[in-house]
Amino acid sequence: MTDRDVLPFPAPDQDDADIAARIAALYERTPATEARQADRCARAVLAQSMHQSSRSALGVSRTRWWWGAAAAAVLITATTRPWRGVVSTQEADSAVGRAIAAATLSGTVTPSDSAVRFDLTLPTSASAVAIVGDFNGWDQNATPMASRDGTWSANIPLTPGRHVYAFVVDGKRWIVDPLAPQVPDDGYGPANAVVIDGGPQ
Amino acid sequence: MTDAELITRTRAGDPDAFGALVSRYYDACWRFAYHMLGERSDAEDVVQESFLRAYLAIGRYDERDQFRGWLFRILTNQCRNALTSRGRRTRRFVQDEVALETAAAPPSGLPLGVEDAALSRALAQLDPQQREALLLKYAEGLEYTEMSRMTGVGESALKMRVKRGVERLRAILGPIDD
Repeated sequence: MTDRDVLPFPAPDQDDADIAARIAALYERTPATEARQADRCARAVLAQSMHQSSRSALGVSRTRWWWGAAAAAVLITATTRPWRGVVSTQEADSAVGRAIAAATLSGTVTPSDSAVRFDLTLPTSASAVAIVGDFNGWDQNATPMASRDGTWSANIPLTPGRHVYAFVVDGKRWIVDPLAPQVPDDGYGPANAVVIDGGPQ
Repeated sequence: MTDAELITRTRAGDPDAFGALVSRYYDACWRFAYHMLGERSDAEDVVQESFLRAYLAIGRYDERDQFRGWLFRILTNQCRNALTSRGRRTRRFVQDEVALETAAAPPSGLPLGVEDAALSRALAQLDPQQREALLLKYAEGLEYTEMSRMTGVGESALKMRVKRGVERLRAILGPIDD
């Protein structure tokens, strides 16, 4: 069956060659985007995918976005001195809250006043994940994380105050939050760590 | 490296493989979104959202599909959502048109001639469904079968949209000198 059998008018392909050519020419003359635009897009997607519940990738059930934010609030509280409660609340609402929400898709704090539990759920499989930071000298062999049901966890005793950390996946891939405003780039390479600031500036 | 290989690596957790897919298809996606939405920033937003959805759903991607087609299916949906959620775009297109015609020189990286500006303006005045069908057919060069699979619209309806779109373009553009 041809187009003429289906439609009560001539096939568009035959009579619209002039318009088709003009549209094609307009399209082809649209300038290419800059290479860095695609690169920026890829980076943003990878970062956003952490926010958007990585569990939804590969068909796994979706994690609630607020669970990460709630974990962040608890995390901040646990690492903050009681008399600095106002400061920690403000930070959990803004910079640090976003940072932790991005990096930890689920998480809780242990009953101990000084230990913090870090949880990381990855969108893809990994054979080993470690947490590194100023508390372990950025040694990726010092604090391996344990895997359970797709979530990597570690309990780390932290003193109140400011801590910088990152996750290292399979010994080579550092997980950070590019959207976090408090990402230091001095001494650790560009944008490869997230700041938890529960103490004095 | 083929799309299939990059997809396999992306599923295995290689961010560079996904970056390569984005690099490969970003331009094509951006160009379609730009002509659908009429604004660079809107196009960037929609393309990024499309790649995000593709990344999150890549576990469900069927290798029997062409990746480009699968990606464009997501992209066309995102363009429709953007047009729906952001309301009528007519005023924004008019602003773009004014910027093009009153600029002392063509905007950097956008060497459109008078004829192109007229066609761009005419496309912007079309019903979004007609514009989508015309772009997929004549700019992307797709067959109606592919367009139907991509948009979920029947082939006859797509042919009708193209036909009506062309008629509308002719009415807006006026007689064409050969």
